[in-house]
Amino acid sequence: MEPLKPASLTLRKTPPISTREFAELRRFIYDLVGIDIPERRKYLLENRLGPRILQLGLRNYSEYLMMLHHGPDKNTELKYFFTKITTNETSFFRDTKQLDVFETHVLKNVLQECEAAGNKSLHIWSAGCSSGEEPYTLGIMLHEILRMSIIGWKIQITANDLSPDMIAKAQAGLYGEYALRTTPKDVVDRYFIKETQGYKIHPKVQKLVSLGLINLNDKLAVKRVPKSHIIFCRNVIIYFDDAVKQKLISNFYDNLLPGGYLVLGHSETIHKLSRVFQPLIKPGGIVYRKST
Amino acid sequence: MNRVCTEHLTPGMILAKKVIGPDKGVVLEPGAAMTQEHIEALRTLGVSAVFVRFPAHMEPQREIERQVQEHVRNFFIFVDPDHEAFVELYRIAVQRSLKAFRDGWIIPCEEVLHAKNVEHLSDLFFKDAGEPGDIVRHEVGLASFPDIYFKIREVLDNPKSSAQDVARVVNTDVGFSAKLLKLVNSPFFGFSTTIDSVARAVSLVGVKEISTLALGISTINYFQNIPPELMDMRTFWRHSLRCAVFAKLLAAKKNLPSDRFFTAGLLHDVGRLVIFKNMPYASVEALLYARSDMVPLVEAETAVLGYNHTDVSKLLLEAWKFPAVLIDIIAHHHAPEIAHAREEAGIIQFADIMANVAEISAGGLFALPGMAQEDWKLLGLMPRELTLLINLHDEHFEEITSVLL
Repeated sequence: MEPLKPASLTLRKTPPISTREFAELRRFIYDLVGIDIPERRKYLLENRLGPRILQLGLRNYSEYLMMLHHGPDKNTELKYFFTKITTNETSFFRDTKQLDVFETHVLKNVLQECEAAGNKSLHIWSAGCSSGEEPYTLGIMLHEILRMSIIGWKIQITANDLSPDMIAKAQAGLYGEYALRTTPKDVVDRYFIKETQGYKIHPKVQKLVSLGLINLNDKLAVKRVPKSHIIFCRNVIIYFDDAVKQKLISNFYDNLLPGGYLVLGHSETIHKLSRVFQPLIKPGGIVYRKST
Repeated sequence: MNRVCTEHLTPGMILAKKVIGPDKGVVLEPGAAMTQEHIEALRTLGVSAVFVRFPAHMEPQREIERQVQEHVRNFFIFVDPDHEAFVELYRIAVQRSLKAFRDGWIIPCEEVLHAKNVEHLSDLFFKDAGEPGDIVRHEVGLASFPDIYFKIREVLDNPKSSAQDVARVVNTDVGFSAKLLKLVNSPFFGFSTTIDSVARAVSLVGVKEISTLALGISTINYFQNIPPELMDMRTFWRHSLRCAVFAKLLAAKKNLPSDRFFTAGLLHDVGRLVIFKNMPYASVEALLYARSDMVPLVEAETAVLGYNHTDVSKLLLEAWKFPAVLIDIIAHHHAPEIAHAREEAGIIQFADIMANVAEISAGGLFALPGMAQEDWKLLGLMPRELTLLINLHDEHFEEITSVLL
């Protein structure tokens, strides 16, 4: 058995991306999904996409771009492409403090207002739902607040993500220990079914959630989302530049019903981007409200 | 029987121990050759590693090499794969990791590399509501910086200061002067005779050099109360010390005042401590982002906070009135092209990268930041010299650590 020869070790495994190809790909991604890949991430992009190019038997990134633009399977490939340029790290009941703020100061109020107005229907939009942890957490929260009276409500949580992989995972609703690491044990017992393959979200929660793909940079797609009482968009806007963020925030504003709420990730604020929302600053998090 | 992380499994490997699911049912029975579907199922289940046997056609040695390469390669995802320095560093890292493996190191699974939860922490400012300046003002306002630091600085600020003045100040703190003497007497500092007094150390090393070294040492003691869930202080300072060792070695090669570089290396990430301390929650976001996207931590800081640790270091060290040359090279170690002393900042940049490489098989967590070709060229190093550098580091690092930490 010969020892490993250091000289045979190389970092380069895939075709190099040329300056022109990088510029074109950068433009393509920005126009499509509004994410700007700065120059310093060139090699990261190369590392993420390179193996796919080899797998498809292509010679370079120009050919790959051609395929994304004009290929017969371009829609299928685009879905794959999206999973390569986005990433996701979430868990159930992540950021519990922010969720507490949300439950106490937002969700309970909204439910009361709906009930007082004699309209027991609620729409929450989880924009950027990753593998489903967030919308299911919201579904569990609603069950916990409303208990048996939930049957009298018409509730829909629309959950969207750019990555088809993530939506497929959310649809399966099957999670490992890691995703449940911040979930209280009694909640796991009541809302998950232990299976050999993992913890499966209970159908009574799953039926509240309607999953689908979305490109938040696509104004028409965003317009098709039903009007919401609450929008959750956590840890998504960090991927966008200010111009796209602004566009997105204004689309969210249009989607919200009067008095509706926008909830962003813990370290995200929009005060530099938009003044149309009224921020409610609570210990543990900020939520934004559209005027009534 | 080998323990293999789920992400390194390949179809054909034979499961050696059964895998049990949450309902106590058997997910996979031992003895079966695994398929791609089995592997995916283990991933969904969140199983981080399983015990396997290799089938006859898989040579165990080659298989370990493949896993080690895969693991090490992850750390190089952000850098130019044609950059001669990084190619060499990759080779070095693979060799070191293989050696570590033979000595009992376990290739960490992806899951282990995930950051912990810090649900109980809260930030001083919401993002956008706090600029680096606000955090630094808050930090400096709190400061009960060691008295000795200010006394040293007075000496340093006075052009008429003599070796005796420095010695007198340092000697007022017994523990501190002992540390300083141990440090300059270590083989790494390479003096042929024993230095038995601070006065002698000052005359040999120089007023400026000893004083900046003293500033660096007194800073280590300052930062406490960093939430341990984020990063334990020992890990942080070990990285800083590695960087200090490499910075001194690189500076000495170029005949630059190497003790100053030791201090710059020691303090190169000091701004990160201030961020951890004041923005723990946002720091977690950055740590998680860096891990899940496999980007360098500095890149994740910029994405999550809108600024990074070098912005904070600059303001902090200015507020503490550190020597301007030190601030320049520390504040620009991720962007030497905008430093006044580009080459010097490049030394710290490369020392930081080397420190990260040394850590790959010793608990390292984050992807290596890149380095521009121009800055590498300015160092005037040949790739083949890097092995020697890392060997010198290995020779001296533990000893320096035992003196200072």
